[in-house]
Amino acid sequence: MNVGERLTDQNFPESPEKATLEGKNKFLGFWLFLGGETVLFATLFGTYLGLRNSFGKGPEASEIFQLPMVFAATIILLTSSLTSVYAVLALKENRVKAMRGWLFVTLLLGLSFLGLEIYEFIHYVHEGHTFTSGAFGSAFYTLVGFHGGHVLFGCLWLSTLLIRNSGRGLTLYNSPKYYLFALYWHFVDVVWVFIFTVVYLLGKVG
Amino acid sequence: MSNAHAANKSSLWDWLTTVDHKKIGILYLISGGFFFLIGGLEALLIRIQLMKPENTFLTGDLYNQVLTMHGTTMIFLAAMPIIFAFMNAVVPLQIGARDVAFPFLNSLGFWLFFFGGVLLNLSWFLGGAPDAGWTAYAPLSTTSSGSGLDFYVLGLQIAGAGTLIGGINFLVTIINMRAPGMTFMRMPLFTWTAFITSGLILFAFPALTIGFFLLMFDRVFEANFFDASMGGNPIIWEHIFWIFGHPEVYILILPAFGIISEVVSTFSKKRLFGYSAMVFATVLIGFLGFMVWAHHMFTVGLGPVANSIFAVATMAIAIPTGVKIFNWVFTLWGGQIRFTTANLFAVGFIPTFVMGGVTGVMLAAAPADYQYHDSYFVVAHFHYVIVGGLVLGLFAGLYYWYPRMFGKMLNETIGKWNFWTFFIGFHLTFFPQHFLGLMGMPRRYFTYPEGFGLGSMNFISTIGAFFMTIGTILFVYNIIITHAKGKMVSGDPWDGRTLEWAIPNPTPHYNFLQTPLVRGLDALWIEKMAGNKKMTPAEPVGDIHMPNNSILPFIMSLGFFIAGFGFIYFNKGGALALVAIIVGLGIGLVCMFLRSWIDDHGYHIHKKDLPKEDKGADL
Amino acid sequence: MAGNEHTNSVHRHSSLQKKIKLKQERRQHNVSFVMMILLTILSFASIMSDAISDTVAILFIIVLACVQVFFQLYIWMHLGHKGHEFPMWGIASGLFIAALTVGTLIGLIW
Repeated sequence: MNVGERLTDQNFPESPEKATLEGKNKFLGFWLFLGGETVLFATLFGTYLGLRNSFGKGPEASEIFQLPMVFAATIILLTSSLTSVYAVLALKENRVKAMRGWLFVTLLLGLSFLGLEIYEFIHYVHEGHTFTSGAFGSAFYTLVGFHGGHVLFGCLWLSTLLIRNSGRGLTLYNSPKYYLFALYWHFVDVVWVFIFTVVYLLGKVG
Repeated sequence: MSNAHAANKSSLWDWLTTVDHKKIGILYLISGGFFFLIGGLEALLIRIQLMKPENTFLTGDLYNQVLTMHGTTMIFLAAMPIIFAFMNAVVPLQIGARDVAFPFLNSLGFWLFFFGGVLLNLSWFLGGAPDAGWTAYAPLSTTSSGSGLDFYVLGLQIAGAGTLIGGINFLVTIINMRAPGMTFMRMPLFTWTAFITSGLILFAFPALTIGFFLLMFDRVFEANFFDASMGGNPIIWEHIFWIFGHPEVYILILPAFGIISEVVSTFSKKRLFGYSAMVFATVLIGFLGFMVWAHHMFTVGLGPVANSIFAVATMAIAIPTGVKIFNWVFTLWGGQIRFTTANLFAVGFIPTFVMGGVTGVMLAAAPADYQYHDSYFVVAHFHYVIVGGLVLGLFAGLYYWYPRMFGKMLNETIGKWNFWTFFIGFHLTFFPQHFLGLMGMPRRYFTYPEGFGLGSMNFISTIGAFFMTIGTILFVYNIIITHAKGKMVSGDPWDGRTLEWAIPNPTPHYNFLQTPLVRGLDALWIEKMAGNKKMTPAEPVGDIHMPNNSILPFIMSLGFFIAGFGFIYFNKGGALALVAIIVGLGIGLVCMFLRSWIDDHGYHIHKKDLPKEDKGADL
Repeated sequence: MAGNEHTNSVHRHSSLQKKIKLKQERRQHNVSFVMMILLTILSFASIMSDAISDTVAILFIIVLACVQVFFQLYIWMHLGHKGHEFPMWGIASGLFIAALTVGTLIGLIW
């Protein structure tokens, strides 16, 4: 079968994302990449934890963190993780419309998360907590900013995926792409769970 | 696709767009070799400066730059790419695959490394090279004036991304693309070491990536990670650097172990002694390699508990390494040894590496390290393992696999001259440095005073460096002679044991006409012993699926190269720098977008265009 | 055409099985979502309230974060499923090195 051919309910494989060698390779390669990303974020977390009480000229963490807003951002990102799971379930059943719908919701949630984060950053800068105000500031913006950058990249990736494949069904060629995006999105959410705990909640108690 | 016939045509465009692992291997070899010559030249300059006391050949800041660039170039731009050259040229063939798992990313990895290396070396012409040592310890690196350190950070960041991509590629290739019957415990040892090395790359390089970002933010955007007056902490840099840096050492040496295992076994006409112990030792070294980084920081003051733990862990690495040494010796034992140049290098490697290992255990003893630290003893130690280990291994690999990569055998007579001059020169250079270190000569100083008794041994050391230079020149001469006058050889010139020798010469660009069926360790040897002229195929001759060439990796890397310039001149270049950043990153993103947008299904070589049957390696 | 009918019914049967499996999966996903929201609220509350001492609260929320990682990796990313042996190795090794790194940067600096 041609990999670019639209799959039907009759020839739909059990795991369309892994039905070709290319798909299998992408699947494994992406998981390994996430393993590497774990170390990448761990290094950022470690740096942050090493410097989290070195406020320099900036305000202290417990004074400025806006927990209710961060809490809302957390719920948004968690929900977007759920919607991307729904998209994967739809993918496995060859329900293209449902899948694309859920992914679209994921995209909207991702964008609103980004909006909240930008608003939050602007607020902090006004409070005097900046990238250069002290080691804490540098570490905070680098860690949270790296995560935000991942969300932004995810949104760009997902938009490209959705636009490119609009009007096209699932094929053995594009199924791995959708699946990989979902993996990426979950990973970004995992990182956020730790940012929420280690940066914000821990910052409140000092 | 028109690619089918474009792939046969050798032109500049073809080299820029190729995704063929064999060609990418050659690209890695040429650029790695080029940087090796530059790094070697820098080494020679260092040795000339240190030839006599209070020399004024290269002083102060310039010496620091040459020293930094020597280390950085040799590790990141010479050793790593030459290892990748072998991994590309050999691993897919050894496992019976038609290509790597991600041919496009393979090309991207190479071009990122290439542009990163070029960016770093351009610093020579743009206001001075980095001068804080290859370890770039903060706050020396954050406060170093000029743009040198910015070139270091951005150049290595780009090159490092390429390495990471390469690591993932080889992990997936080895896991997913082995020929039928090629179980993990039937993989040739070089493939095993490539596998473990790739794993180390995957988990070590991300730490370096972050380390470079932090350093870049401190230098370019005035962050305060390592600025103690703003609450920063320079120890964080040391930890991050060595969390990467120690695994990096094993990333370098493991493939050399693999090469030695192949060469020793082939030229002893024996199966590798203790194959499973070798595999286990490789895995164990890979694991322990992550647990020992703090032995670079014994004198930082981590406290007796941490120092003891890291000392014991470091000494433990001697055990699996010792297992390997004994297994090589036992492989040679009773074998029909042929002292080809490749085997000379391999046999020379064994005692040399043992010496480097022994000084390693000496350095692992934390209290004693307070004496050795930052002295020439350390310099002697790591050159024994990196030059005496890795570089001898790479030479062995070059002589061994040259016929596979280029179809011609390197001249053996020149090869032997190459070996002896380089080998003697090496020991002459670095053996005296142990004693220089014990006598108190510190590393990285550009001179030493008269009357300390350091002069004569430094002079001997410099003589040795000239011998190594002669050896290297002989090697380059050998390459030229071989390509000018050498004859094409058969696909199996050494009476090989593993799959890379089972195919015709030159290697068809689809590698295997029919995927081979692997029936045990040393797959080709098994067929030879069974009286077969070629591998038993696992499939009938049929259409072969191949990936399309692409120019995107080149353009994408060029984009990041431009953006790198922008970041380097961010504080001095004004609007132009900002434009470079935006344009460069834009090019990179657009290339990613295009890669996502354009469906790329590869193409098929049709059965009618293929030979009727597999002729094997023309044994 | 009996053979054809037979394969059709087999096909229908297997697709029915698949549907049931996916339905179960969906329930699992929903449960884990609710759990994760609850865990988030719980850790939020434990920090905000004064009833729990800070040390206990910190340990508690870190444990909760790890539980959430389990939910994400095993339930949502299917890490426990068949065919995930190598991904498992990749993530486990990554987490191991990650733990070393974080531990060091907290404990071995001053």
